[in-house]
Amino acid sequence: MRLFTFQRAGSVDEAVASGSSAAFLAGGTNLVDLMKIEVLNPERIVDVARLQLAKIEIRDRTLEIGALASNSAVAEHPDVRRGAPGLSEALLSGASPQLRNAATVGGNLLQRTRCAYYRDLATRCNKREPGSGCDAMDGWTRMHAVLGVSDKCIAAHPSDFCVALYALDAVVRVRGPAGEREIPIGDLHLLPGDHPEQEFSLRPGELITGVRVPIDGLAPRSRYVKVRDRQAYAFALASCAAAVQVQGGIVRGARFALGGVGTKPWRVPEAERSMEGRPANRETFASAAEIALRGAKPRRDNAFKVELAKRTAVRALMSSAEVAS
Amino acid sequence: MDLPKRPCLLAFCRHTPRFDEAFRAELRGLGTPLFAFAPESGIVFGADDEPRDVGPRPELWRAHGAGKAALTVVLLDEKHRVRLRRDAPEAEATLLAAIREAGRSVRAGPRGIGRRELLVNSLAVALGAAVLQACASSRPAPDAKPAGATADLIDVALVVNGVERRLRVEPRVVLLDALRENLGLTGAKKGCDMGQCGACTVLADGQRVNSCLKLVAQLEGARITTIEGLARGGELHPMQQAFLQQDALQCGYCTPGQILSAVALLQEGKPKDDDDIRERMCGNLCRCGAYPNIVAAIRDVAGRA
Repeated sequence: MRLFTFQRAGSVDEAVASGSSAAFLAGGTNLVDLMKIEVLNPERIVDVARLQLAKIEIRDRTLEIGALASNSAVAEHPDVRRGAPGLSEALLSGASPQLRNAATVGGNLLQRTRCAYYRDLATRCNKREPGSGCDAMDGWTRMHAVLGVSDKCIAAHPSDFCVALYALDAVVRVRGPAGEREIPIGDLHLLPGDHPEQEFSLRPGELITGVRVPIDGLAPRSRYVKVRDRQAYAFALASCAAAVQVQGGIVRGARFALGGVGTKPWRVPEAERSMEGRPANRETFASAAEIALRGAKPRRDNAFKVELAKRTAVRALMSSAEVAS
Repeated sequence: MDLPKRPCLLAFCRHTPRFDEAFRAELRGLGTPLFAFAPESGIVFGADDEPRDVGPRPELWRAHGAGKAALTVVLLDEKHRVRLRRDAPEAEATLLAAIREAGRSVRAGPRGIGRRELLVNSLAVALGAAVLQACASSRPAPDAKPAGATADLIDVALVVNGVERRLRVEPRVVLLDALRENLGLTGAKKGCDMGQCGACTVLADGQRVNSCLKLVAQLEGARITTIEGLARGGELHPMQQAFLQQDALQCGYCTPGQILSAVALLQEGKPKDDDDIRERMCGNLCRCGAYPNIVAAIRDVAGRA
């Protein structure tokens, strides 16, 4: 790990005022890891771990989660389990108990890809070193994305939590030098395009202070299904957060997002709308999944993800709709 | 110890160089061992390990005709044939500059080389080339501090196993290294050093965490429990006792982490069944495969609670 200067922020204002060249550090499970392997080399670290941003509560049918709430705390919170069970399931399906105790909501929103080439300084990576090329393209691509890819980057987005937040229409709250603003979760993560090194829509110096999840008719029905190489402690090959509202056997509303297959969590409004007014059954869900995977661009080792993602989506939608498989 | 059967660098310094934290930091992660000898001492810097004492080794001085210049650097290949050799008039500044330069070139390349042996070879070559270049063009400027090589040390007070300990460390020092190197508590083990294996698990303010990913600088006032702090007055913690009774280990390297993780698991809630234990112990890997007995030990203690 390279040397850096360290400063502890006493307040959100102090953190934001500390300047745009600093990296904010909370739980450290992602940033410290990447600093150790010298993929990220911030010269200044501002410690935000002790700011008063860890509250979790439901107010006016909105779940408010502070950016410094730990993954464990959010996953175990009764309001989360009741109001947005898919969120809790997504968190508990990720990482290990040790990591979940340390990892925070804000860090999870900014979690970097697990692309092996991004993490290996001996290979070329456009995300790590803009313009250097991508050794993943013709490399071992089993874990890589099939949706949202560009000819510069095929790195998969690693988060489970974010997938659930996408399906739940969450909003990210940030504070920056220019004040507070809210970012719809879908706009936080950028597609790689020609600039895979630009990953987030945050402006310089902005600090995530929390996320807001509307507890509407769908959220309490949300579920998370994750398929991976091991039963525990593995990143998703494909995952799906789904929430379906059914009345008299007919889908009244449905949202779902896919994980493990996109360069960001993947949501397709057209696929969701296709289910409305149709019977809540496997056929309806399968045709929605088909739409969601349109345009998938698999590479040598990850073509299986296209079919796997469809089946994962169907299972998650059936589970939320409580349709027996 | 004998020299390893792979490329390595030997540096013979007429005066003992000060291998301070900045120097050691530059060496970490280079992937190539450097043997640094002074007339009275010898140290090997491995790829990831802490430096180890290897003694002065006068026979190597003789074999390589070292001692006439302030610094003699020799690059050996895997069969211990001398590939490159250079003498320099200045020891310390030259060596540090060379290591730093090698670090930069290693981080910048080589590209597209995947196989471990090739990589190690090219790292050795990069390091060797940089040392030789620095030897040739050494212009020591004692007052010029290299950028980023100094960081203010940070004072942190934390409570480890019930005792207040004060540390003065670089901001980049993680809890695991501070426990092992600064406080002499070697129970927490360094396995992967990247938050994946769980061998470094400790309790921080009652919660199990990977100590390899926690910067000490963030832990002011934290209460840390390591395996050394579990027993009470010579009596083992019930989980330690259960691990013994169930023979829940082979080599034992992962065991301190397993035990602390298991203690935390029970504090978090009674496991429903064996599958629940396995799921909740997923952050602790055991390469020997002692899992069945680890589960049995945890089941035992859970049953008594």
